[in-house]
Amino acid sequence: MANTAEAHHDDHDHHMPGFFTRWFCSTNHKDIGTLYILVSFIAAIIGGAMSWYIRLELAEPGIQYIDDFQFYNVLVTAHGFLMVFFVVMPAMIGGFGNWFVPLMIGAPDMAFPRMNNISLWLLVAGFILLLLSAVIGDGPGTGWTVYPPLSNQEYQPGPSVDLGILSLHLAGASSILGAINFIVTIFNMRAPGMTIHRMPLFVWAILITAFLLLLALPVLAGALTMLLTDRNFGTAFFVSGQGGDPVLWQHLFWFFGHPEVYIIIIPAFGIVSQIVSTFSNKPVFGYLGMAYAMSAIGVVGFIVWAHHMFTIGFDVSTRAYFTAATMVIAVPTGVKIFSWLATMWGGSIKFEVPMLYALGFIFLFVVGGVTGITLANASADLVFHDTYFVVAHFHYVMAIAAILAMFAGYFYWIGKMSGRKYPRGLAKLQFWVFFIGVNVLFFPQHFSGFAGMPRRIPDYPAPYEGWNYVSSLGALITMIGTILFFIIVWRTFYGEEAEANEWGEGATTLEWAVASPAPWHTHEVLPDMTGKAPAE
Amino acid sequence: MALSGFVAGMVGLAYASVPLYELFCQVTGYGGTPQVVAAAPGTVSDKKIAIRFDANTNPKLPWKFKATQTEMTVNVGEQTLAFYEAQNLDGEDVTGTAVFNVTPLKAGPYFSKIECFCFTEQTLAAGQRVDMPVQFFIDPEIFTDPDTKDVTTVTLSYTFYPAEPEEKSVDAAEPDNKRKKS
Amino acid sequence: MLKRLFAAIAVVAVGVIMSADLAMAEMVEMRSKPWQMFFQEPMSPTAEKVYDFNVFLLWVEGLITIFVLGLMAYICIKFNAKANPKPSKTTHNTVLEVIWTGLPILILIIIAIPSLKILYFVDKTQDAEMTLKVIGNQWYWTYEYPDHDGLTFDSYPVPDDELKEGQPRLLSVDNPVVLPANTNIRLLLSSNDVIHNWAMPSLAIKLDTTPGRINETWTHINKPGNYYGMCSELCGVNHSFMPIHIKALPKTEFSNWLAKAKKEFATNETQKKDAPVRLAQAATAK
Repeated sequence: MANTAEAHHDDHDHHMPGFFTRWFCSTNHKDIGTLYILVSFIAAIIGGAMSWYIRLELAEPGIQYIDDFQFYNVLVTAHGFLMVFFVVMPAMIGGFGNWFVPLMIGAPDMAFPRMNNISLWLLVAGFILLLLSAVIGDGPGTGWTVYPPLSNQEYQPGPSVDLGILSLHLAGASSILGAINFIVTIFNMRAPGMTIHRMPLFVWAILITAFLLLLALPVLAGALTMLLTDRNFGTAFFVSGQGGDPVLWQHLFWFFGHPEVYIIIIPAFGIVSQIVSTFSNKPVFGYLGMAYAMSAIGVVGFIVWAHHMFTIGFDVSTRAYFTAATMVIAVPTGVKIFSWLATMWGGSIKFEVPMLYALGFIFLFVVGGVTGITLANASADLVFHDTYFVVAHFHYVMAIAAILAMFAGYFYWIGKMSGRKYPRGLAKLQFWVFFIGVNVLFFPQHFSGFAGMPRRIPDYPAPYEGWNYVSSLGALITMIGTILFFIIVWRTFYGEEAEANEWGEGATTLEWAVASPAPWHTHEVLPDMTGKAPAE
Repeated sequence: MALSGFVAGMVGLAYASVPLYELFCQVTGYGGTPQVVAAAPGTVSDKKIAIRFDANTNPKLPWKFKATQTEMTVNVGEQTLAFYEAQNLDGEDVTGTAVFNVTPLKAGPYFSKIECFCFTEQTLAAGQRVDMPVQFFIDPEIFTDPDTKDVTTVTLSYTFYPAEPEEKSVDAAEPDNKRKKS
Repeated sequence: MLKRLFAAIAVVAVGVIMSADLAMAEMVEMRSKPWQMFFQEPMSPTAEKVYDFNVFLLWVEGLITIFVLGLMAYICIKFNAKANPKPSKTTHNTVLEVIWTGLPILILIIIAIPSLKILYFVDKTQDAEMTLKVIGNQWYWTYEYPDHDGLTFDSYPVPDDELKEGQPRLLSVDNPVVLPANTNIRLLLSSNDVIHNWAMPSLAIKLDTTPGRINETWTHINKPGNYYGMCSELCGVNHSFMPIHIKALPKTEFSNWLAKAKKEFATNETQKKDAPVRLAQAATAK
């Protein structure tokens, strides 16, 4: 980012702060965004390595590499936490959100620049605590869902689960503060003339996500604290013998847990909207429908949590309600998919790498989404709960779709962030390798689930071998695709210089009106957006 | 500021969920929570329903706990008495408490207990054996509610736990947490 | 007279041999096959309904996916920059928006109706002829027959080095739970420690066993045979190693087995004392 430092303004002299001040005490939304992306990269390497190790073990029946099953459960747990809390969320919300929300709304920075920095460092602290929890003591062997009684002191003794709980407290606090920052910024700091209904869809996405974070994370925090006191201070929130109920944890956790998955995917929706519009050279079809579809998904996402709990033994009429409510979410989601297709219809499509990733997202999110319809039905779920069918479903929508959107965002915006272009040919190759890899990895897992293979097991009966082997091969291909990505990241630093708008007339949002790399301070004079066409 | 209020509010709600959850279950009988009432209603119908009795003992409680009768057929609305027996197999006095639920879960609101031994601590001396009564009736409304009118059998289940849990983790049978290759 | 006697004996002998053959031939083996892509064959009324419903769902979902893929392919070919250099400016079409909101709603309603019917069917315990109680433990199952003098026994997984010929790895137990086929059975589930889940794919049973709570469901095993399932809720280190094996016998054979079992498991107190040894074996064996 040395180029950024050189972009001086004529009006006043920027005394660029020293390295430590600039990177450890930042109040600059671009630098903080960069740091979030860096955290995400590091966590992705660790979380990815864990998943490749798991797939290595699962390639064949019998135990070849991981004979310590507590360690296996810890890998499964840490992989889940890392990917959700330290890869996808930091990249999309902390990374792209911080970088581009102020740029897109014409604001000079976020509303609370110092709090922005606290959010970042709280996340880093949470990350360190999570890693510590895996290496101190026996590690948390509970799955990311941390169900008691398994997560109680009696069955997971030692400090590991407690460190994990504290890690999540910090990560949660980081996100809550970030959410407050985004909401205040978006409500109050839009440039003159940019009404709510004229701001880019990516900004809408971040706004909705921020509200979800604000309302869902505190419930997780409460539940985590209750588990912490159950484990260490003799309370009995989740202990049945003393008046508590393990099922209460599940309600609290999933009340957070379900909105969490929409927190993961809604920013991806925003990124895809920007990219599809840019590379079709056409405004997004049905802007209001898109904005309100995201809002509807966010709101309804709060009242469907118990579809994660269909087999705990709760009332049939309640299961019927949750089945119906969960299926309702398919409607606004369908609106979005069709709107993206309608955006492309009649457009002038250029198949640059960001567009390839966005197209991959649209198709594979539909694949993941339809298996979600199967799982939404409590009666169908009877045979799928806790099997690899569920694993396949959520990896399709999160590990494939959301990650494809992250890659899409990276390739779309890296020129703006770094001032350098990514190597075009290598990136196209990387797209195909990764795309093939993740499909070979996760599609066969649907079959394993149909056949009845349970989740979270290091070893399985011999008949499940075939598809597991194929899936592990897919993991190998995905790993190669990921390595290729990091090579591209490296090569980009030495890439061609990027112009202010490298994507042409299709790129209509405000970030393309500033230089590449974006100057350290932008929009110091607010742009006047009155009378301009609605931003898409 | 308003936003921080949101945050605090949601945390508060999470904690409030604990008593609210319990209250909700007790009032509505949701999730197989039987009702607790003072006395049986006046009317006794001639419709019958089968009641099964199930008993569980947490492994940390050194008691033998079972239902005296596996099943009985009762008239709906009629106050009925059933028994469980518990014996302390330990050489010392031991105190236990019981938790309970009924299945099918939708029958919960219609299973009314007048007197039972739940949630009160029971202390048994070493080797002592006692009979524990449960007085209950089935609310006749069970057959007018469209959800429950097809219920023919209701199971009442108790689980006894030690009243003061030991601090140590699962003992004796604690396997190595690692499963090693031979 | 002797001829008649011999004939009678022969008939009886053939009859015995044939029925033994028949009985053996009738024992199905319900577990996954290699490279299996779809469900295990449904062997209970619930499973049959769930299976058919899922086939229906797959058709709907498959068609939707292919439709979207087809649209995308068409769009990429017809509207790429070379084929269509001047993009249109259309951003609205009310009719289209109504259709793509309304049609999914219709499809979802069509899905929801059979879905909820099956849900309510599964929930209603059919008039049960017997009850089985299942208790989850770390890492084995305990089975109780409250209607049969409280017969109780534990069902431990068989470690790899003790497998006998024909016993599938990670699915075999020392004492399978024996149940009568063609009988409505009420299932009561609970746990002694953490949450487990008793699952039987071919019968479409899957219900958590939670400590301090009884959950209820029912089943009806259509054919005699060996049915296999695995614990389906993470319960600690040996979660993958606490299988469920149901041996379903014709009703008469079940009665015979009951008589034998009551004698064999009369000493289940001692069996509990053996538990630590068994667990240690499971822990140290491969």
